[in-house]
Amino acid sequence: MEVIGKSVIRKEAQDKVTGRAKYTHDYHTSKKLSGRVVLSPYGHARILSIDTTDARKVPGVRAIITGEHLPLTGESMRDRPPLATNKVRYHGEAVAIVVADTPNQGDLAASLIQIQYEVLPVVHTPTQAFQQNSPLVHEHLDEYEREKDVNPVPGTNIAHHVKIRKGNMEKGWGESSVTVEGDYSFSPSDHAAMETRSSTAEITPDGTIKIITSSQAPFMVKQLIASYFDEDIGKIVVDTPLVGGAYGGKASVQLEILAYLSSRAVGGRAVEIFNEREQDMMMSPSHIGLDAKIKIGADHSGVIKAMEIQFLWDGGAYSDKAIDLTRAGAVDCTGPYKVDHVWCDSYCMYTNHTYAAPFRGFSHSELSFAVERTLDLLAKKLNMDPLELRERNAIQPGHTTPTRVLLNQSNVGNLQECISKLRTLIRWEEGPVREINERLVRVKGVSCSWKTSTIDSNAPSGVILTFNRDGSINLMSGVVEIGTGTKTVLAQILAEKLKMDVDKIHVRMTVDTQTTPEHWKTVASRGIYMAGRALLEAADDVIAQLKEIASIVLRAPIEDLEVAHMKVFTRDDPRISVDFKDICYGYQYPNGNSIGGQIIGRGNFILRHLSHLDPETGEGNPGPEWTVAAYGVEVEFDRRDLTYRLIKAASVIDIGIVLNEKAALGQVMGAMSMGLSFAGRETFYYDEFGRVLNPQLRTYRPIRYGENPEYLVDFVYTPDLQAAYGARGVGEHGLLGMPGALGNALSLAANVSLHHLPLTPELIWKTKAGNV
Amino acid sequence: MEDKGRERVMLPFSFDYERPKSFQEAVTRFQQADQSGKEPMYISGATEFLTLGRINQVYTEAAIDVKGIPEAKNIQFDQGYLVLGANLTLTELEEANVFPLLTSTSKQIADHTARGKITLGGNICGQIFYREAVLPLLLADSQMVMVGPEGVKVKPINEIFHERLLLQKGEFLIQVATDTRYLHAPFISIKRRQQWDTGYPLITIAALKIDRKVRVAISGLCPFPFRSNEMEDALNILEGSPKEKIQNALASIPSPILDDVEGSSEYRLFVLQNLLLDVYEALKFGERE
Repeated sequence: MEVIGKSVIRKEAQDKVTGRAKYTHDYHTSKKLSGRVVLSPYGHARILSIDTTDARKVPGVRAIITGEHLPLTGESMRDRPPLATNKVRYHGEAVAIVVADTPNQGDLAASLIQIQYEVLPVVHTPTQAFQQNSPLVHEHLDEYEREKDVNPVPGTNIAHHVKIRKGNMEKGWGESSVTVEGDYSFSPSDHAAMETRSSTAEITPDGTIKIITSSQAPFMVKQLIASYFDEDIGKIVVDTPLVGGAYGGKASVQLEILAYLSSRAVGGRAVEIFNEREQDMMMSPSHIGLDAKIKIGADHSGVIKAMEIQFLWDGGAYSDKAIDLTRAGAVDCTGPYKVDHVWCDSYCMYTNHTYAAPFRGFSHSELSFAVERTLDLLAKKLNMDPLELRERNAIQPGHTTPTRVLLNQSNVGNLQECISKLRTLIRWEEGPVREINERLVRVKGVSCSWKTSTIDSNAPSGVILTFNRDGSINLMSGVVEIGTGTKTVLAQILAEKLKMDVDKIHVRMTVDTQTTPEHWKTVASRGIYMAGRALLEAADDVIAQLKEIASIVLRAPIEDLEVAHMKVFTRDDPRISVDFKDICYGYQYPNGNSIGGQIIGRGNFILRHLSHLDPETGEGNPGPEWTVAAYGVEVEFDRRDLTYRLIKAASVIDIGIVLNEKAALGQVMGAMSMGLSFAGRETFYYDEFGRVLNPQLRTYRPIRYGENPEYLVDFVYTPDLQAAYGARGVGEHGLLGMPGALGNALSLAANVSLHHLPLTPELIWKTKAGNV
Repeated sequence: MEDKGRERVMLPFSFDYERPKSFQEAVTRFQQADQSGKEPMYISGATEFLTLGRINQVYTEAAIDVKGIPEAKNIQFDQGYLVLGANLTLTELEEANVFPLLTSTSKQIADHTARGKITLGGNICGQIFYREAVLPLLLADSQMVMVGPEGVKVKPINEIFHERLLLQKGEFLIQVATDTRYLHAPFISIKRRQQWDTGYPLITIAALKIDRKVRVAISGLCPFPFRSNEMEDALNILEGSPKEKIQNALASIPSPILDDVEGSSEYRLFVLQNLLLDVYEALKFGERE
């Protein structure tokens, strides 16, 4: 192949590295007002009164908005007021908005709003939320509008419950001669994208609602604003330019709602809501936490017979995307292993924390930490090599997933080969432990993971192709460029298909929902998967139109024609040809007669045969394919200080085919870095009032260059027959196994079983002292 | 700074900005602003001024920038003393490297970008309580040179620094003078954080050995940097194993011990014990020579 596989430099690269790239906040309209949000100072409190008298006197203040009379919002269940009413349910919740001429005026007015609160007892963890006598975050759970497959339990903090009931547990335990179990737990954390969220909304006199927003889901913004506020969906236009990192956090729709309400309150003038970092961390939704119980039964040779799993997801104060996360965790709850007997209860719990957004991996790195630690406990109990245990149980074609999807050569990758390659990549034959001296020891830990997507079964992706008069092509896709390089890879796919120079394909970087065809949301590692297929259909459409006109001009049957190098020509004699530039706008004869017209290619794609999950058993088909991977992490551990350095981190992923080598490596390494950072360092700390103690980058610290390990990446190539060129989604997968592998390495190194994140030296010290 | 239209200006308050050319002028301007009720403040690198000002933890209506004062940028040797200007940035100190222990401690403070702005005086006199740049000065019994409404004052650090530099209103630190015999004393400086190599100090320890005794100064353990004579006495005793000496030294640490998002107080004690072992390995306290 000419273009597929090559490390084509991203089309937006020059703009980004020279600082010319524009992100949402960089777009200036001349008369943009500023919306400054007042945040809740408590994790759980009743709002007794709000007095805006002094705030209204500040010059430049145009409106002050509070929450009464606003409809409830929320994606799966409408439990969330856009601005808090009656009570606040998390530290940082939006309570009021001041719309002013300048941000400083807005901030001054915001500081003068007097709000009286009565503090309420805080629900600190999902386990506490699950107890009988826990305070309730939502007293009126039964009154909320919701999707028909959402099952809240009124009178409790359970927003949704997903059940997986596969096989026969009694039989499974009966066949198990060995069982292990573990409890695992970690708090919410943050996405920490470099670009904080921002949205601007304007309502023009003709009723058009224009929104510019840094989002992964501009089309969902359009849908939700129409639905929540009874607006004409055709009059809502959402623009999304380049996005400076998102990682799932910008798939949730929040700021857009606040911007729209702000604009509405000032007669439609443009209002921008821009998150300072603290607001981005506290007010906007964050990375979900989890309390998990895993129990595994296996026979004496290490073949897993049964798994019993309970997930209590820390969905935070509102359910929004946490219900989907809860479902996604259940769908892949066992990890990539053959397990005939599975009992999983996955609960979406309300707590008084910032509510959850998807985080890269969408519950999979979280569940994998719990499952992979337990697998190592099993390996230890059986006195078995941890990689061999995983290899023995690796899921394969012919096996079924927790939701009973039958796997085949196409819809699942080859985990055993991933493990085999991992062995070589990390020199597993050297053994997991190597003493450097009395204090220092190098230890390797391993894990596996997998993921399918759980997006809407009718999620669409569309592509439009148009020509320029020189025969070059414009490519329009609703995929947002959030830094994955997807837009460039789409150009490569088109270049390969049309056998033309990738530099002659011009990709539209910004998305505008009125003219760009919809791509459901830029999530789930399904960008190329879906847009690639839509693109191929559009390319076929373009080829057909080119050949139709060429056939007339060349006086040759369509079947005799080929397309390459921006020409259409007869296969047997390429000299008989016509250039794209002469037919892409139709063809004009010497006497002036013209035929055809501008060629416009269209294509769309939806996933095939997805189905809802049965509410009692969980049986159903959630996604098109499972990407599998094996991982290793090597640390250098100081046995006196209980500190460690990351030496190496490895991922072997069955990718199907590499579309752009450097882009794929970058995605995988970047994901690994995030996974290690999350596992090693990132968490929110809370006080007894549920207040976040570290909502700044001074005290919430992602990994830095220099702290990173050497990254090792390798691939396996089992094509997905449904995908463009066989390529599986791979954007998230580098992350998934890192917490598990790191936890396994450190547990071995420190000689103590670690069950929490982040894996700090203090955690190791506390666990060894028995104080956790 | 005026509101520049649509953009949010970094600081939520307006203030007069002065840039005096001499220390006398600086003090005069301070007094004038003070009389006008402007709550004046001296600034140097201004890193803290901006980052704390933006979250309303610092307020002033008159900022007096002392960076232009020539004496505050000195590096010179004078009658057996090394004189360092308080407006030298941490990066400038590191590059000059005239006091290796100070270099070693300074180059771990904050991060590379910030160190180009943070000054010696700013790190010592600012609000953030770690003040790691003071640790070598505590160990070397430096002289602190201050100017203010009462003129120039020179005082030994152990008289004028207790948890913070005890400046009078209108006073600022202009220079620090250190006896050169300390500059080449064997030393060690270690910074331990919650995780890996970046972040606020969990514990920063600096130590040097002079006249056969080890001196130790610590930041991050308590909400102030300190040097404790009792601790040093316990470490420098000739009898007992290093571990026993360390245990005895721990009995004299001041309070309170920090318990916060960086780490618990019990864990800090664990870290401190190991750091003192590292100091012993490097400098061998309490041994007959």
